[in-house]
Amino acid sequence: MRQVSLPRTLGELWAVLQRQPHSAVYAGGTDLFVKIRDGQLNPESLVCLERLTELQGVQDNGDELFIGAATTHSKLIVAESVREHLRVLVKAASVLGSPPIRHMGTIGGNIVTASPAGDTLPALYVLSAEVEIRHCEGSKRIPINEFIIGPGTVDLAKGEILAGVWLRKHQGWNLSHYEKIGRRKAQACAIASMAAVLELTETGKVKRARLAWGSVGPTVITSEGVENALIGEQLSLEVLKNAGTMLDKAISPIYDIRAGADYRRMVSKAMLLRLNDYACGTTY
Amino acid sequence: MNDQNFDNKNTSFSYLESRPLHIGASVPRLDAYEKVTGKEKYAADYYGENLVWAGVKRAGVPHAVLRGIDFSSAVKVPGIVRVLTHEDITGSNRQGVIRKDQPVLVNDKARHCGDAIALVLADNKESLKEALDLIVCDFEPLPGVFDSEQGLRNGAALVHEDNADGNRLLKGEIKTGSGSDAYKECDVIVEACFQTQSQEHAYLETEAGWARLLANGKLEIVCSTQTPFRDRMEVAEALGLDPTLVRIIAPYPGGAFGGKDGVTVQTLLGLAALHSGGRPVKMWWNREESFVSGTKRHAALMYYQLGAKADGTLHFLDVRLYFDTGPYDHLGGVVLTLALEHAGGPYRIPNAQLTGWAVYTNNPIGGAFRGFGVTQVTAAVEQVMDMLAQKLGMDPVKLRLKNATKRGDRSCVGKTMVCSNGLVECLETLSKHDLWKQADDWKSSAGPFKRRGVGIAAAMQGSGYGPVVPDYANAKVELTSDGKIRVYCGVVDMGQGNASTNLQIAGSILGQESGQMELVLPDTDRTLPSGSASASRCTYTFGNALIGAAETLKQRILQRAADLFMASGPHEMALIPGSVRHLPTGREVPLFRLVKFFQDSERIAVHHFRAPVAADNIGVSPEIKLHGLPHTLFSFGACLAAVEVDELTGAAEVKRFLAVSDCGKVLNPQIYQQQIHGGIAQGLGYALSEKLEVEKGRILTTGFSTYIIPTASDVPEIDSIAVEIYEPTGPFGLKGVGEIATNGPLPAVANAVADALGIRVFESPLTAERILEAFASNGRQESSI
Ligand SMILES: Cc1cc2nc3c(=O)[nH]c(=O)nc-3n(C[C@H](O)[C@H](O)[C@H](O)COP(=O)(O)OP(=O)(O)OC[C@H]3O[C@@H](n4cnc5c(N)ncnc54)[C@H](O)[C@@H]3O)c2cc1C
Repeated sequence: MRQVSLPRTLGELWAVLQRQPHSAVYAGGTDLFVKIRDGQLNPESLVCLERLTELQGVQDNGDELFIGAATTHSKLIVAESVREHLRVLVKAASVLGSPPIRHMGTIGGNIVTASPAGDTLPALYVLSAEVEIRHCEGSKRIPINEFIIGPGTVDLAKGEILAGVWLRKHQGWNLSHYEKIGRRKAQACAIASMAAVLELTETGKVKRARLAWGSVGPTVITSEGVENALIGEQLSLEVLKNAGTMLDKAISPIYDIRAGADYRRMVSKAMLLRLNDYACGTTY
Repeated sequence: MNDQNFDNKNTSFSYLESRPLHIGASVPRLDAYEKVTGKEKYAADYYGENLVWAGVKRAGVPHAVLRGIDFSSAVKVPGIVRVLTHEDITGSNRQGVIRKDQPVLVNDKARHCGDAIALVLADNKESLKEALDLIVCDFEPLPGVFDSEQGLRNGAALVHEDNADGNRLLKGEIKTGSGSDAYKECDVIVEACFQTQSQEHAYLETEAGWARLLANGKLEIVCSTQTPFRDRMEVAEALGLDPTLVRIIAPYPGGAFGGKDGVTVQTLLGLAALHSGGRPVKMWWNREESFVSGTKRHAALMYYQLGAKADGTLHFLDVRLYFDTGPYDHLGGVVLTLALEHAGGPYRIPNAQLTGWAVYTNNPIGGAFRGFGVTQVTAAVEQVMDMLAQKLGMDPVKLRLKNATKRGDRSCVGKTMVCSNGLVECLETLSKHDLWKQADDWKSSAGPFKRRGVGIAAAMQGSGYGPVVPDYANAKVELTSDGKIRVYCGVVDMGQGNASTNLQIAGSILGQESGQMELVLPDTDRTLPSGSASASRCTYTFGNALIGAAETLKQRILQRAADLFMASGPHEMALIPGSVRHLPTGREVPLFRLVKFFQDSERIAVHHFRAPVAADNIGVSPEIKLHGLPHTLFSFGACLAAVEVDELTGAAEVKRFLAVSDCGKVLNPQIYQQQIHGGIAQGLGYALSEKLEVEKGRILTTGFSTYIIPTASDVPEIDSIAVEIYEPTGPFGLKGVGEIATNGPLPAVANAVADALGIRVFESPLTAERILEAFASNGRQESSI
């Protein structure tokens, strides 16, 4: 039997963490409890972050949005401001797990788990998200790609928690796309995924582009090569195919129980071609 | 809870709105309310004071001599009651149905990773887990057999040294007409090899049970099972007990699909209860243990040659089947035999050479699973039928219609089909459906990077046990002392709804509504032996017995009432809800009054029914006959899958599905549709995503995050149409509906994918990866983009 603490304020949280330095924090528990059941983790006690108001919900801070780490995916995808400014994140979080998992799981949990397959991560990368780390003495902000170090590893010291993510509101993207390839339509871990945000001119030329792939490397993969190959071009199969050739060097997919490395390689490039669906000039 | 009185377990439905029980009406399932409100007590819900938890140490190695078991540290764990090994078993220590070759606890060697080595009894789950981890098995590894073809080769490691046939559990050979020689007379021949995978039953409720030894020596076992009456004999023999001292009580299983067709926890629980000092014992496998130890649908390798005349008349079939039965005969021979019987599908094929092997391996145990061998061969024959249609340039529906068996025709094993046969009606209904008629329009309106295809498949499914093993049921119906009608179900309802249908049958005959009905679930002490819940037989066999019992009781009630009213005879009396009415005068006597004029011995009516068997001798070996060939009653079906394939990912999505089935008359349309829908969902999982990864006998996908069953969003809208042909031998004209729908999805989907892409994937499941690989290696991807 493990003790579970449910602090309501950050003050209480720091006190608990000080008293029980060997406890594990969690929010929805949808990753942590799976690992405890598997025997991968065996924390002495648990601290739940769910009741900390500071970690809950989406705040509009002028030019930026702050999404509290303990915000569940189902809350995230209905938040007005997120829907307006961060469509790619909404698309990604909408296909994460299934309704019950989205009700329990949080964006903070998804980030700290740092799975290469984490669905919100490619979206957060292309949106240049910054994470806010807090500890009893203060806080700091670092870019998400610096926070996530490797599969399952983040730059978080003892006594620190992830407070939330900061995202710029007006990023000017007029095409937001997320595709996840799983073994079934819901409750499926990504075999490969791709988030893309593009700014297209009125004539359909690519002005700016940010793309990121999940599940094809130790962490989320981005490729300036691919992005540069798109910039200045009219979206077309030809252009997208050509850009895909740049991906080969960037990704390092593995073989696992869900799919082979070759398949991951093939579909990473193939997913790019889907952007051609947007080529007709309408934006999404 | 030790004094739990099972005799009180009569379910009554008087708290629900009372409903008329008419044959043919969609009466809501009478088990639904208790189940959705969480009130229904499953085998896993039994606890009790002073409970002992029992758990199993599994081998964890696929093939190894067991030199010793060291449990010296395990017994020192606080809270451990006992550690038991094969040395504590005084019976045969063997279980199984035909060949009893599975040890309860291993005494010589481990033959698969899930073999049970030791049984631990503990005061609580934590101690149990700790002790299990501390048991050390001294194994001497042996080379293993992990592939059925390889298992038959000379020099292969032997799974059972004492088996005269090496790794061959059963070989079946059937020749009709001129057999293989007929290929010379064909104008067209198609040839293919198909590989189908192991499939996990994936029931919601894993294997569970509860047992206790009473002071009078009676062993009571409550368990999730399809086969209470067979379990009693198996448990008694394995443990060396008098079968009359073993009582099996079978609540509703939370799903079974064949995986509980035989012993899972029963004997282990019995053994534990014999050593728990009178304390009740509970065992409940977790999901991983269920995967590792439970049975699977046999993986199959199937070589097919199908030949026809230029006009599409089928002429010749050559089939070789290799079924991976794992280390034990969990009905593996019977599964193979059913596969042989259905290898040619529901078609007339005058010349056939059918050969099959059920092969022992060190893989997980192959066993019973909805469809029971028919699912595998249907996948093969329905795909070669499409290949043949393509080669002949013939419409696939027309090719099937041309060769469809009708009553009086012979199946591919030479058996004359005597039961009602609605195959032609199924195919014609399908061909008139919009999904078929408008297939071309639908296919041509695919969006970017999508290709669409429409595929069909036909199937038949034999029901019952075949010509030798008696397929019987004994129904018992009681007019209770308070005037209710109590039905004693001898056949398990594992979720398919037959318990509810039984009440509908008895209620409609006895003129009672649901509020007047009571139910007793299978219990070897209270209900009568009625065979297993399997083989699409439950309502057919038990229903026939039940009609007899209900009619007998009805006559008795009407006669007694007629005597009371001094009526001229029972024809003047009618049963109405709760009462008997004298029709000429309208006078009534409530059943609770009338019953006072009954002696206890009159209140109960029983009736025995034994299913008819094939009368013709088709010249197969006695061994094959014993394993169930041929059947005499068949259900039929035709189905259609409309599939969209994504060219970029290879993912096949089933957009629509149509099933037209002939299962005789439908007693309850709602329950009928649930069986069809469920069978299709399970069949689609088999077709597209369910892939048990086994590496050298070890299962790598031991849970639902890697073993991918369909979710609600993966199952499309289903159109299901019943072609209700009256079956004269069935209760109210019914045939079995439990299995037929599972057989069509894989071949229909594979045919649709072939239709969409022009390439065929011969190995199931048709994962996106396999489809994309086939598509890419075909070089077509380039040209299409
Ligand atoms: C059935 C199922 C399906 C799933 N499907 C998907 C899917 O499709 N896509 C996907 O990406 N994921 C999926 N997941 C994984 C999981 O649901 C998500 O990663 C979810 O976002 C995790 O959030 P959580 O709050 O439940 O995490 P928790 O389990 O509470 O925590 C996860 C980890 O993060 C740490 N942590 C959590 N919050 C903080 C914080 N604020 N500060 C510091 N550390 C913290 C915990 O200590 C733990 O190590 C699935 C999980 C399950 C069980």
